[in-house]
Formats: sequence, C-alpha cells, structure tokens
Amino acid sequence: MPTVILGSAKDIVEHCGVPRFVFTDFPLGNSAGKPHDLESQAATLELAFSLLEKAPAARTTVQSPQRWSASSDWKLDFQNVDRIPETEIKKRRAEFDKIKAIGQKVRDQTLSNHPEN
Amino acid sequence: MNSKQTAAFTEEHDIAVPYMQRLRDYYLALGYGNPYRWAQYADVPFKSLGITLDQARVGLITTAAPFKEGAGDQGAGAAYNAKAKFYKVYSQSTSDLDFLGISHLGYDRKYSSAEDINSFFPLKALEAAAQQGRIKAVAARFYGTPTNRSQVTTIEQDCVDILALLAEDEVDLAILTAN
Repeated sequence: MPTVILGSAKDIVEHCGVPRFVFTDFPLGNSAGKPHDLESQAATLELAFSLLEKAPAARTTVQSPQRWSASSDWKLDFQNVDRIPETEIKKRRAEFDKIKAIGQKVRDQTLSNHPEN
Repeated sequence: MNSKQTAAFTEEHDIAVPYMQRLRDYYLALGYGNPYRWAQYADVPFKSLGITLDQARVGLITTAAPFKEGAGDQGAGAAYNAKAKFYKVYSQSTSDLDFLGISHLGYDRKYSSAEDINSFFPLKALEAAAQQGRIKAVAARFYGTPTNRSQVTTIEQDCVDILALLAEDEVDLAILTAN
C-alpha cells in the first residue's frame, strides 16, 4: 500500500525510515497545517499528494516551506531540561509515575475485554 | 564570513527540533534509566502509486482518539490524559465525525491548543480534494492506531489490523498523521 506520513518530528520519523514523509516544522500537534488556516492545511495535503505522485524511492522527505511564526524561539522549549527548574523536574517525575499507572490500567482493561489477545 | 553575510542567516536554533535528544535527556533527568530505543529500519518498503491520484480512494490513519465516556477532559487545552488512551485499532465513518482528540498524546501544549481538528486530522482538506477531483474519493472510514509504545504490538497487531480495514474499504493509498 502506498503511504505518506504527515509529521513534525523529523528526527524520529527519519530515524525509523518511512516511504514518504511531509515534514512540517511546527510545534507538535499541527502536522496537517496551522489551526484555523484552510490554505495552510490544503498546502500541506498537496505536498503529500505531490510525494505520492513523484517520490522516487523510500525515505523521501519534503519539508513544508511554511513557518509557524516569525520567531523560532518556540523550538527551544519542548521538554528541554536546560529550561526546567529542578523542583519542576521532581514534580514531573511524580506526575509521570501516576500517568504510567493509569495508562497501564487502561491497557489491562482493554486487553481483558478482548480475550483473543 | 562577515557580519553582513551572517545577518542574512536565520536564528542558530532554527533547526528541526531534536526530539530524540530532548526526550532522552528529559526522562534521564526525571530519573528513568534505560532510554527508549526508537524503531529503526535498514530497509524501508516503497510501493509506487500505480494509478493516478484522481483514480485513488484515499484512507486517513490517525493517532487521535474518539471521545471516551468517563475519561475526563479530552478536548482542546486538556492536560495530558492517560485515561483517554486506547490500545486497539478502531475505525469510524468519515461522513459522521463527531469528535477526535489528542489529549492522550505528548504534543506541544505550550504552543498548540488542539482546538482545530483540521490541524491534526486533515479529513476536511481531503474531502475538498475529492470534490475538486484531485483524488477520486475519501474512504468510507478513517482508522485510528494506538501509540502504546509496544513496538511488537504495533508491528504485529496494530499494523495488521489497519491493513485489513484498508483492504475491506478498497483503499488505494493511505495518509498517516502523526501527532
């Protein structure tokens, strides 16, 4: 099946290796285009179509020319330990332990409802 | 290189965000050892289109989740919500979409509100493309895939389930949106 991925984590997707990849250099959560911007969303999808039509081989990436904002300072923040105080790190450890436990419970409930697994 | 030349450059940190390094360092700082090993293939499959796009029925695959009763806040601006996670592939009609959310995912909450579904799930743009004749049709269903970090389950169960659904719906090609 011919496929194309729309994504914003260039390193992760290329590290894996995929047939075709439209890389949109936006904060995670907007891989199909800017919110409330039909032109941005249509242009992103058109890049996907273009890759499906023209990519010559696997691991073909095209980077969308769209910019999230004039400044790229947003790129400095995401889970950057250099920017998170020690007290906050400790708090997040405790929160993540709780999240993991909830996720495990949901997973266990899902699998117990589907005995074929 | 003189200052006039470098003045034309973008900011030095204006590179693709190094998520693998950030996540590795982050979870090590939180005290978790054994850093995650991302999937990494030497050989990557490639299937040519074989038809023109205007002959193609297109399927959308997403990591977004339908609304889950009793799982709390799952909409725009919701904090990370593990209760909203799902662990089985699902499919829903593309003509009757009610809600999709990404509260169960680690997206960039500081800069993304997730208030516009079309920014992470391009069904509307795909339907417009079908109306314009760019593609033949949108598949009758879209397909949701879990992100439960079990690579074995993803490869051996979820991918198999997704492929079966795509075949049932006679999908010619698939677009996956990662969030």
